[in-house]
Amino acid sequence: MAITKMPKQIRDYVPSFHRHVLGLALVCNVIASLCLAGLLLSMGTFTADSTTLWMIVGAVFVIGAGGATLAVHLAIQPTKDLLSALIHVAGEPTLTPPPNPNNHKYAGSGLQAALQTIYELASHEEGQSSLTAATPPLTDTAKIMAAALDATTCGFVVLGTDRSILYSNKVAPVKTDQNGKATLQLLFNGSDTLDAWLDECEEQAVHNEHIWTRIADRLPEEEGRRLFDVIVSYQKGTISETVITLVDRTATYSVNEEELDFIAFAAHELRGPITVIRGYLDVLEDELADVLKDDQHELFRRLTVSANRLSGYINNILNTSRYDRRHLSVHLSEESVADVYATIRDDMELRASSQNRLLSVNIPTDLPTIAADHASLSEVFGNLIDNAIKYSNEGGAINVTADVKGDFVEVSVEDHGIGMPGNVVSNLFQKFYRSHRSRETVAGTGIGLYISKAIVESHGGTISVRSEEGRGSTFTVSLPIYATVADKLRAGDNSNEGLIEHGDGWIKNHSMYRG
Amino acid sequence: MAIKTILCIEDDRFIGEMYVRSLKKAGYDVDWVVDGNDGLVTARNKPYDLMLLDVMLPERRGTEILDALKGGAEDLIPHTKVIVLTNFEQDDASRIAMQKHADAYLIKAEITPKRLIEVIHQLDTL
Repeated sequence: MAITKMPKQIRDYVPSFHRHVLGLALVCNVIASLCLAGLLLSMGTFTADSTTLWMIVGAVFVIGAGGATLAVHLAIQPTKDLLSALIHVAGEPTLTPPPNPNNHKYAGSGLQAALQTIYELASHEEGQSSLTAATPPLTDTAKIMAAALDATTCGFVVLGTDRSILYSNKVAPVKTDQNGKATLQLLFNGSDTLDAWLDECEEQAVHNEHIWTRIADRLPEEEGRRLFDVIVSYQKGTISETVITLVDRTATYSVNEEELDFIAFAAHELRGPITVIRGYLDVLEDELADVLKDDQHELFRRLTVSANRLSGYINNILNTSRYDRRHLSVHLSEESVADVYATIRDDMELRASSQNRLLSVNIPTDLPTIAADHASLSEVFGNLIDNAIKYSNEGGAINVTADVKGDFVEVSVEDHGIGMPGNVVSNLFQKFYRSHRSRETVAGTGIGLYISKAIVESHGGTISVRSEEGRGSTFTVSLPIYATVADKLRAGDNSNEGLIEHGDGWIKNHSMYRG
Repeated sequence: MAIKTILCIEDDRFIGEMYVRSLKKAGYDVDWVVDGNDGLVTARNKPYDLMLLDVMLPERRGTEILDALKGGAEDLIPHTKVIVLTNFEQDDASRIAMQKHADAYLIKAEITPKRLIEVIHQLDTL
């Protein structure tokens, strides 16, 4: 009796084969028994109604059938073991444990070698592709996974070694252009981008993971804007080198967006009283100049310095709130570093002298002009000098210098204060980052450097720091010389669009609102 | 033409008084109004050398006043210089629109009366 139908799975094969062979053996037995009965009848030894005849035939049948069953069972065992090994290797579900080639019953026989060969082949295979114990065959798994991933609210994107998108599920913020090239639509903050991180990984990591929070897929005014927490896993050299998981947090963060609006509003309200405080301090100090004693002058200076600093911090908060909502933009025009500094000179000199620091500013007047947003850049200088005052010691010298470096003008603020260890430096420009020690000893919000970096980068410039613990720090701001960017600026209507290459143009039509 | 007469349109009493006091001490002739409608009327009735204009004003916003005076086909106050003084965070478009018709655009919190007078001197030399 032939096997007419191919079983669908390996595990179906043995039982059906077993049944067929057993059936065949039994049929043969029945035929043999009947033949024996016919022979005995024809020989006339027994009559058809003789009980003895049927007892003999029955006994022969039972013995034959038992023997055949046993023989079939023994004969099929090696096949069964081999197939059982195959079932395990192929990853089909089964309750039988995989045959152990080291079992004594296989010892010495060729079967041990056969089993070992199967397992070895399978382990080679596994090294190349991932043939693990999945429920259905792989093609079905892929279909199920794709359907499942499309049904979730999380975005999944897989990038290959060349950073092209190999896979993205339905909700992932991926845009396909006319040429069919898919790109990830995420607006990262400044230079802290996925690409920058991957550059770093390619150079120095085998396995790495990073999380960005509150990353939007489009500009604030655009329809259907979503905000994600982006979790990226990097595993060098694998086919799915970069796996990006995007958790849609729009509902949570859009509430925060309103809070940011509130921050802008509150900061604006704070400016009213500050206007009056700063104004009258200025007026009163003049009018009382003849009446005030020396130490009272000093008290006035302290009041003025404090009011000025408060005003600066409010600007930092406002700008940070704008920047975090992608509203920060700058209007660049031709400025000189000396002119920008001039607007904060009095304030800075007062701050330094009231806190016993020696501020020396040496900005050559013949420096080339830079492309700058006057007010924003003066805030950056203010923040850096304010930090230099904060993190240096009584009587410490603070030097502000400027020089030309290639197509850039470099402005450096150097202090001889407490300095920082290397691990602090690397985190310095993060929002709300404050070193453990500075948290204990110096007041501050931790957004001054964060927003300064954002402003400098919106100018197409860079900010960097050199520091030595116990010896002091030097912050350097590098800004493009106006002549080198004038054409780009004119083309972009004095916005910074042409200067910012990493910003995906998101700054367009958005501005840092100044009151 | 030296600046002599100034119209200050400012609704905050403390801030208004502060500017008026300092400007008068500096020798200027200052009129002060506190709402937008009065501001517009006063500006049209008397030719001031300079107008200090707040943005967030009752009755009529500073933007509307500036637009009514200088935004039409005819400049209604051709001899008056304008300094916009505000603490309000305007959106870019409105700010640029105001700057087009103003000689200076300043944040009040950043400007002390002394600095304001310096700015007025600067405008004088233009």
